Amino acid sequence: MTKQLRVALAGNANVGKSAIFNQLTGLNQIVGNWPGKTVERAEGTLHFKGYTIRVIDLPGIYSLSAFSLEEIVSRDYIAVEKPDIIINVVDASALERNLYFTLQLLELEAPIVVALNQVDFAAKKGIRIDVNKLSEALGVPVVPTVAITGSGINELLTTVIAVVNGEKKLQPLKVRFGAEVEKQVQKLKKFVEHSLPQLCEVYPAKWIAVKLLERDVDVAGKLKNYEGGAEVLEHAEKFALELEKMHGEPSPVILASERYSIASKIAKEATTVEAPPRISLEQKLDALTTHKVVGYPILASVIAAMFTLIFWGGSYLSEVLDFIFQGLSSYIGNILAHFLPSSAATLINNGVLGGLVAGITIALPYIVPFYIILALLEDSGYLPRAAFLMDNLMHKMGLHGKAFIPLILGYGCSVPACIGCRIMETERERLLAAFAVTLIPCAARTVVILGLVGRFVGLHAALALYAFDLILIFILGRIAFKALPGEPVGLIMEMPPYKKPSLRNVLTKTWSRTKDFVYIAFPIIVAGSLTITALNIIGFIAYVTAGASPLINGWLGLPVEAGIPLIFGVLRKELALILLAELIPLNSLSAVQMIVFALVTMIYIPCVATVAALLKELGWKKALAITVVDVALALFLGGVAYRILPLFMPS
Amino acid sequence: MMFRKRRGLQRREPPKNEGALKALTELAEGEKGVIVKALGGFGLVRRLADMGLTPGVEVKLVRKGSFSGPVEIEVRGVALALGLGVASKVLVKPIKDEHHD
Repeated sequence: MTKQLRVALAGNANVGKSAIFNQLTGLNQIVGNWPGKTVERAEGTLHFKGYTIRVIDLPGIYSLSAFSLEEIVSRDYIAVEKPDIIINVVDASALERNLYFTLQLLELEAPIVVALNQVDFAAKKGIRIDVNKLSEALGVPVVPTVAITGSGINELLTTVIAVVNGEKKLQPLKVRFGAEVEKQVQKLKKFVEHSLPQLCEVYPAKWIAVKLLERDVDVAGKLKNYEGGAEVLEHAEKFALELEKMHGEPSPVILASERYSIASKIAKEATTVEAPPRISLEQKLDALTTHKVVGYPILASVIAAMFTLIFWGGSYLSEVLDFIFQGLSSYIGNILAHFLPSSAATLINNGVLGGLVAGITIALPYIVPFYIILALLEDSGYLPRAAFLMDNLMHKMGLHGKAFIPLILGYGCSVPACIGCRIMETERERLLAAFAVTLIPCAARTVVILGLVGRFVGLHAALALYAFDLILIFILGRIAFKALPGEPVGLIMEMPPYKKPSLRNVLTKTWSRTKDFVYIAFPIIVAGSLTITALNIIGFIAYVTAGASPLINGWLGLPVEAGIPLIFGVLRKELALILLAELIPLNSLSAVQMIVFALVTMIYIPCVATVAALLKELGWKKALAITVVDVALALFLGGVAYRILPLFMPS
Repeated sequence: MMFRKRRGLQRREPPKNEGALKALTELAEGEKGVIVKALGGFGLVRRLADMGLTPGVEVKLVRKGSFSGPVEIEVRGVALALGLGVASKVLVKPIKDEHHD
């Protein structure tokens, strides 16, 4: 019988934690959410020496305070669920900052094994770390690894097993702060132990005391459920004030300083810096890509190259897949027609098969190349540079540089882009970023813009639409920023050094993201197209379009038939164009009508899958608000364009 | 043009009577300083401390972004980008540079 083990991966962002996770679990991963939280949870299993090991990849974080949901989720998992072992992934090239996090794991009295990762990269920077010294100082095993190549992974697993079955004993360092701080902590710890015995069974008493001294909101909140809680809180406040009086700093800063001085001491003792690092290629690249002037044309070229590649690769893939699947689906459709009554056959054909084929032949071909390029950009370390360059512009919309990343994602597909808004720190910023994301033309909307306006009116008109969209996003972003209560958060972002991306990591990431996308989007596409086909069969759609004709024809100046594609477009935006082409010859539309149609498609509700993503990320109220604003805006602008454009455009 | 009006943020800098103290944003590129304290809200100060910006630590201003954009600093061997608003709240004592470049 195999023995079960639970292992959690914990560490800072950008230390190669996900690379280690990929090495451990390969493609056996399930990516989802922590229950009730919009924090990604990746889990996988592997078999090693008769053990079945479940690996949980905790979010990449810098601290275990209550700064973000990620931090709270992580520390609660460690303290409450108590995994058998925590693999603390530590970046050898930034030991001090990483040990700050390690110390906090030790404070939580978690059983840890350190994976000292990127030792090769550190060596290149002239940093050599004495593994034995580090292991001695921390009192836990330290295994050097290079996750990208897989070196050290076996030793890491062997060590984990050795610790679990008791062959290797942990003697974890007991974190002791400076005399004054330690005294306050110990005083408070007595009260905690006395008044909160139940809470001390979950969290170490000293840890609770430290967090209370740091005025941790989350831990303070837990105390409310206990009888003696209020009293302990009073003491905590008193001790924290005393401490602050002595040091002249807010208490969390005092404790952070204490931890950093321990981390610094351990790091210095274990590190030897050899030959001062020369200016490397990476540093030159760094200087160039963040340059005040040169950085911007480089950014523009990178984005242009990215889109060219996606559209090239995408349209090629799309044609190939279309050839295969259209044939296949009409073949199945013919067979079905023999066995089923005609309305049932239509339902399955258009509803189920049509939805699936549209998803496979139109969405996937653009999304897969997009994910590959995105993974390359992420792994190389370019995205933070782009965020650095764009920080100022993003501030005008109440966001900061990091929001640039989901916005770029939005040009591929709004679904991952909405999920990507999680990198923003506060609810307010997630909302702002998600709102902007829904207005970015995704690959599907690009199909409409290029396929209609680009093809029949000219590329200049299509590009003008894109430019108008950017200006619109900027203006609306600014309005939303002013209208929403709350203070904007400033940028605090690590700039990890440039690295050569690994093919394996890029492909694994692409695979798991594509899988994730298929799981989210496909059921919705099928359910949606099934519903609309059914409504069409019973004549409801005709009824709606007749009712909507004053809007479609009167206000937007489009042929009445255009109402149907616009409604179907809610499923997948590119369907709008496909259906329009089925209903009326595209070249019968005037240039203005084409532009209005593309404009409305570009702005109105993203699509069902995106609405579902918004719902999941922001809750129904905000999802509804964004949807309503988008639809109203699209109709308003469409009507205005219909009235204004003829003045500028000779027909 | 629209990038110009960023001055307001910089004006909220420390009063001159703090002696040799400067805001992080006032360091020149390549100049080093020792963190004295971070102004601003509880959350921000704590976040900065978590990222290693604690009093007494040495920082180097690596580069400044254009259009009064963010600054990149090096602290504890790690490169960090700080938005202008954040960086202007961090007070440092410049380290006298012996070898000028």
